Parts: sequence; structure tokens; C-alpha cells
Amino acid sequence: MLFNYYPFIFLFLPIALIGYFALGRFSHLAPVIWLVLASLAFYAVSNWQFVALLLASIAFNYLIGWLLIAAQLRGGVRFGVLTIDVAGDLIVLGTFKYAGFLATNLNAIFGAGLSVHILLPVGISFYTFTQIAFLVDAYRGNVARYALPHYALFVTYFPHLIAGPILHHRDMIPQFEAAESKSPNPHLILCGLMIFAIGLFKKTGLADGIQPLVALAFSPEAVPSFEQAWIGALAYTFQLYFDFSGYSDMAIGISLMFGIFLPLNFNSPYKATSIVDFWRRWHMTLSQFLRDYLYIPLGGNRHGRVLRYVNLMITMGLGGLWHGAAWTFVAWGALHGVYLCVNHVWTHFGPAAPPRFARAAEWAAFVLTFLAVVVAWVFFRADSMASALSVLSKMVDPTQGSFGRVEMANMMFVAVYAGIAWLAPNTQAIMGYHHNNRTVGETLGAWSRRPAFLYVSAAVLAFGILGIQQHSEFIYFRF
Amino acid sequence: MSNVAKDLVRFLATSALVMLLAVTLTFVVDPLQIFRRAHLFAAMYSQDSRMQDAGLIRSQDFDTVFMGTSLALHFRQSDIDRVLGVHSLKLSLNGSTSVEQNFVLAAALERHVKMVLWEMDDWIFHDAPGIDSNVYLPADLYRRNLGGVASYLFSGAMARESAWILARSIPPIEKPVAWLTTGVIFKFPIDRVDDINVLRPGFDVAGTYNAKKSFAAFKYITDPVRSIYLADGADYDRMVRNFERDAIGLIAAHPGVTFEIYFPPYSILQWVAMRDASPGTFEQVYNFTAYVSRRLTSFRNVQLYDFREASEVTHDLNNYADVIHHSPTIDLKVLSWLAEGKYLVDPSAPTASLDRLKAQMEAYRVEDVER
Repeated sequence: MLFNYYPFIFLFLPIALIGYFALGRFSHLAPVIWLVLASLAFYAVSNWQFVALLLASIAFNYLIGWLLIAAQLRGGVRFGVLTIDVAGDLIVLGTFKYAGFLATNLNAIFGAGLSVHILLPVGISFYTFTQIAFLVDAYRGNVARYALPHYALFVTYFPHLIAGPILHHRDMIPQFEAAESKSPNPHLILCGLMIFAIGLFKKTGLADGIQPLVALAFSPEAVPSFEQAWIGALAYTFQLYFDFSGYSDMAIGISLMFGIFLPLNFNSPYKATSIVDFWRRWHMTLSQFLRDYLYIPLGGNRHGRVLRYVNLMITMGLGGLWHGAAWTFVAWGALHGVYLCVNHVWTHFGPAAPPRFARAAEWAAFVLTFLAVVVAWVFFRADSMASALSVLSKMVDPTQGSFGRVEMANMMFVAVYAGIAWLAPNTQAIMGYHHNNRTVGETLGAWSRRPAFLYVSAAVLAFGILGIQQHSEFIYFRF
Repeated sequence: MSNVAKDLVRFLATSALVMLLAVTLTFVVDPLQIFRRAHLFAAMYSQDSRMQDAGLIRSQDFDTVFMGTSLALHFRQSDIDRVLGVHSLKLSLNGSTSVEQNFVLAAALERHVKMVLWEMDDWIFHDAPGIDSNVYLPADLYRRNLGGVASYLFSGAMARESAWILARSIPPIEKPVAWLTTGVIFKFPIDRVDDINVLRPGFDVAGTYNAKKSFAAFKYITDPVRSIYLADGADYDRMVRNFERDAIGLIAAHPGVTFEIYFPPYSILQWVAMRDASPGTFEQVYNFTAYVSRRLTSFRNVQLYDFREASEVTHDLNNYADVIHHSPTIDLKVLSWLAEGKYLVDPSAPTASLDRLKAQMEAYRVEDVER
């Protein structure tokens, strides 16, 4: 099921909310079980054939977690148990997500003639990572024992199940256990609706609206000119941001209606003034996961500069591969790895800008960072390396430009999107959403200002709902 | 009720009100002219035929409809009217299947049509999803049932287009709004029905249609890596079943309507590609079109033309953008052949033209072109 789907908004969500709070009057456990069942129903609507896999994954990881937390195992055995679990999770993920990719490459190298067609279970990348983090923490002794319903809800919780944010057990399970989230809080429901409205509008009003411009550069039959290649690349840059951040806002808003605060996933990434800064603002929960469970265990920056760069490249390359089984994603990740290395080298060896040029230097850094990100998105979006290189080659060849009225008009629309991404406050700033403090809506201002804000956000919800199209998925669903 | 609860009610009520305002705007402007012809605002049209045709069928006067695929997309209605002496409405759908063509034609035939001009490719009869599974064609809007009308009125895209058309009718901003309406973001850039899906002025015809491009396309599809796609979806029994359902069903149900059907003039390279790279596919197509020819010519209200044997066009590769898509010059040629009755299939020898095409294909030497 999709968040931008009428039955979800008008049927599933109200029923899930009513059932949750109704059961919350009698018990603390029943609403948790209700939400698990609702989440499984949410998943089963379009992925029924993979419900068993999801349940098996939960059972396997919960059992291993129990062994690591409650059983009195010795050090070597504990490590062996963790290794078995992580290997098991990665084998399942690898089989479903990467077997076809592996076969294609073996065919290309050895002419092996392998044919693998396996459907990708939606959300497998997200729920696998979530559980690996849980078990690594269990191995490190940083996890208390959780009840099975709370653990199952942590994995299946429908606002995040399909495309994140990637949740952390220490953040989520205490919230599921808390009694206060089981009774309806009109303030949280209203703020949740407003955040959901902003997210839905980002998706249906902005991301879906600019999609036709993306096709100018990336549709299979496209032969873009210089400016069409730029329009397509820039349009995709904004489409992806509004699509994924819109999804994340919707997830946060929906969860807030249940009284649960989800972590932020975006913080105006295109306002970044360096690649390091960008990765602190883009898909933040993935960045944190990769840092805590891959980059730091690899050694992080603890073994000298060269190994730090190697670790960065490995982390970003695998981060790219996590997004999809294709060399274009590896190239995207590797490119960002290179960017990060260059960023760190510059920070260490580069000259500091004189104070009077500090503002100009900041502007230059902002522009350079944005352009670097756009170039990398070309690999992320293209269907093949050849297609990516073709688009990039057009982007550096102004002699292939036509500079006609249509292109200029289309560029104006891209400029509007850029204005929103660069100048408008982000959702958490508008709503005063503070995940760590568990507060929201306290910055909406005095009561005298509030009605106008209320009506504008109501209009945003209306336009978001009216903008729902029959054939519009979220881009991150396929990861 | 607490203040927050009141805010919640106010929030939901305002959302509902804004939606109703958007619905009212779409109803008043009516971009597709579903409810009435445009009179309050200038009529604007979209290149998206699957959507636009639902409105054209309601809003236009016509006695003839023209249906086809991308090969029938760039025709001008004014040319059809001038050459054939009819009052036509072009309903051609890019990349369409027989399921779509049948559905749109059936909707148009409810409007007392005298003649159907039908460009018929064999591949439109490949298996396709049902019309109600087609997310690109608003079937319920053609049917004008409650679901279709509601999905039109409650569409944010239509409300946005309505607002844009409204803005375009305000004199001080008319020009900048028109300048920004490219058909990519805002979908209704055309102000004359005759201009829907025609090549825009200044289009590089010579650069698009030439022997170099058509021969490059030939090399591409006959490459051993890709030649398997020549046979993609071609299953004789299924194609016959779909043809009977979508073409014969429609023709038999409308005995008072004349169906002028033509097989389009593909370049000879299309057939040579099958001969060289996928002979089995040619055999299938041969058998299928032989069946189609026999069936169509058995109806009194059908006239069938086979332009595939028109070698004065099909052998001149400068007429093509690839192996099948011909230039606007050939559009006019097709109309003149229809007016003259040229290449009309004789019901007593329905496969004679097909055999002449086969002979042309067998005699054609690619090496001569390469030199």
C-alpha cells in the first residue's frame, strides 16, 4: 500500500488509529499487537507473497537477539552467533536483491548463460539494516531484552516499513512501551496531519509535477540537447528530494498521530556547503547507520589518513550498492566516496579563505557542492552507465544546445523548484519538530497567528490529496 | 471540546472546502470540454490523446473519425477534410493497442459517425491489458459514469490546468502564461484542434526522415543481440482472437458505418529485417495479415487498402525516420491514395497485394543500399 493512495488515507489510516486508541483504553500491549497486525496488513496489500519472509526474518533475528542478550554465551560463541545472523541476513538480502546482478555480470565476463529472475521484496533493504543494527548492539551489550510484540512492531511499524526512515531500537522501542502514546493526543494528531499534508504535497504537487522534465534527459528514447540534459538532471535532483523527503515527512506525520516520534531523514540537503555537510542532511538515518555499523567498525579515521579514505570509499561504494543492484549505483556511491575524500583532504590541507572573502568562499562551496551532487545523481537515475555518460557528455557540450523557447520556459520551472529547495524553510522548521526533545508545534506562534497557518496547511493537504495520481510510486520503494 | 480539537475540526473542514473550490474551478473551466464547449475561456488542447480524446468526442462536430497508432499521429484534420471531403476528428493514439483503439472508437461511434478511417498495424493485436487496467486512458471518463466524472473533477492536475487556462485568459498575463505553456509541465498548450500532435512549425523534417536514419534503425533491429524482439509478442492465435474481438466486433456492430481501413506503408526494410533476422516472424505476420485481409474484405461496409506494396514510397528510404515511421509528406500521399482508391484490396483476391509485397521483399538487396 502507498501513502499517496486514497484507500490508505481514507480507510486504512483512520481504522488503524481508531483501533489503536480504542484498545489503548484497556491495555498497553493490545495496541502494540494491533499495530503489528495493521502493519502486516499494510505490507500484505501489495506484497502478500513476502509476508512470510518478513515474519521469518523477525523470528530469526529475535531468536538470535535473545541468544545474545539473555543466554549466557562465551565471547567466541557470541561472536559466532552474531556472524551467523549477519551472514544469514545478508544472504537473504543478497539472494533477493543481488542474485540477478551477479548473474548478469557472470554472463558478461564468462558467458555463463545464467538466468535469474527474482522479485524484490519491498522494504527488504530497510528491515534488514534495522535488524542488523539491533543485533550488533545486542552483541555489544547495549540492548535490554525486548518483548516480542514490541520487537515485531519495531521492525514492521508501517510508517517506516517500506522506505524508512531506518529506525534505531533504542529510539523506538521505549516509545512503543510508553503508556502515554496509547491515548489520543489531539495536538499530536493535528501536528501529524499538518506534517503529513506537507509531505503529501511535496510528493503529489512537486515531485510528480516535475517528472515530465526528467524524461527529457532520461527516457529511453531521449536524445537530449545541452540544455535538455541539464534540465533533466536538475529536475531529477529536485524530484528525488521532494519525493523522498515528502515520503519521510508523511511517515513522520503518520507516526506522530500515533504519538510516536520518528527520526528526521532530511534537513534541507541542497543548502549544504560541503559534501560532508550534504551527508549530514540527506537520508540522515542511512548516513548514521553506515557511519555506526560500517565505517566505524572498518576502522573509521582511527588508523591514519590513507585508511580513512579507503574506509570512506568502501562505505560509500557499499552504500551505493545498497540502493540498487546496478553499476550505476556503485558509481554514484563511489563518486560520493571520492567527493568525501577530496572534502577531507581540502579541510586538512586547503587554505582557509581570508575573512573578507569568507562569504564568497561559502557561496562557491555551496555552488560546487550542489553541482557535484547533481552530477552524481545522473548515475543514480540513469538506466545504464552508457546512458549516464551520454547525459553527462551532453551537459558539457554547449554546442549541442538549441536554447529555444520551450527549453527556456522549462528552465523557469526548474528555477521555481530550486527556489523552494534553497529558500523555503524545511518541514521541521515550519512545524517546530524536535525528535530528541519529543516536541512539536510549540513554535507555531501565538494563537493570533495560528489560524492563518492552520488554513494554509489545510489547503496544502487539499492540494496534496487532489494531486494523487493512479500511477505514481515513491522512488525509494525500489530500494 | 478543547481548543486543539476545534483546530483539528477546522483544519479538516478547510481542507474539504478547498477541495470543493478546486472542483468548482475544474467544472467551470472544464479543460477537456467534457461538460460543455469552451465559451467562457479559450479552448485549449493537449497532446495526450488518451486523455484529450475523451473531451474531443464530446465537444467536436464530426462525421468521420481517424484512428491509428504513431503512424497516424501527425496527420492534420484539415488535410483529411480537404482531400477526402469529410468532417473528420483525429483520435489516433501513440503506441496504442487494439483494446484502446476499439474502446475509443466505440465511444466516438455513439455520435452518429458515417465513416471510420483506420490505420491498422498488425502489432496492435498483440495481447494487452483490459481497458480498465490501463492507467493512461481514463476509461470511466469516456463512459461519463460517476467514477469518471469524479476522478476528473477531483483531480489536482485538472484544477492546476484550469487555473492555468484561467490565467491565460487574463489579458495582462496572457502572453507570459502562453510563453510558459510548453506542454511538458502544463499540458494544454494547443489552441486549435487541427494542431493536436502535428509536427510543430520549423520541425527538422529532412534531419528526422532520411535514408541514413532508416538504415541505422535497420542495422539496430537486425543486430543478433536484438533481433529476438522482432518476434516479441507475435502469437498468431492470440492476435486472431484480439482482431476478432476488437476489429471485427466493432465493424459487425456498426453495419451503417463505412470502415476505410489501410495497412500503412512501412519501409521495405521492415520486411527485409524479418526476412534476414527473423523469418518465423514474417511467416506469422504473413499468415495473420492474410487472415485479416480475408475477414475484412468479407464485410460490405469495409474497404481495405494495402499500402505496404507501394514501392514508390516504401523503397525510398528518405521517407522514413526508422524502418516504419514515414514523413508528413507520405501522410498526404496516403490521403490521396485513399481519395483515388489506389491500392484497394480486391475482395476476390484478398492476399494478392501481400504476395506482391513478399516478392518485393525477396528481391530486395540490402547490399545495394549499403553501397
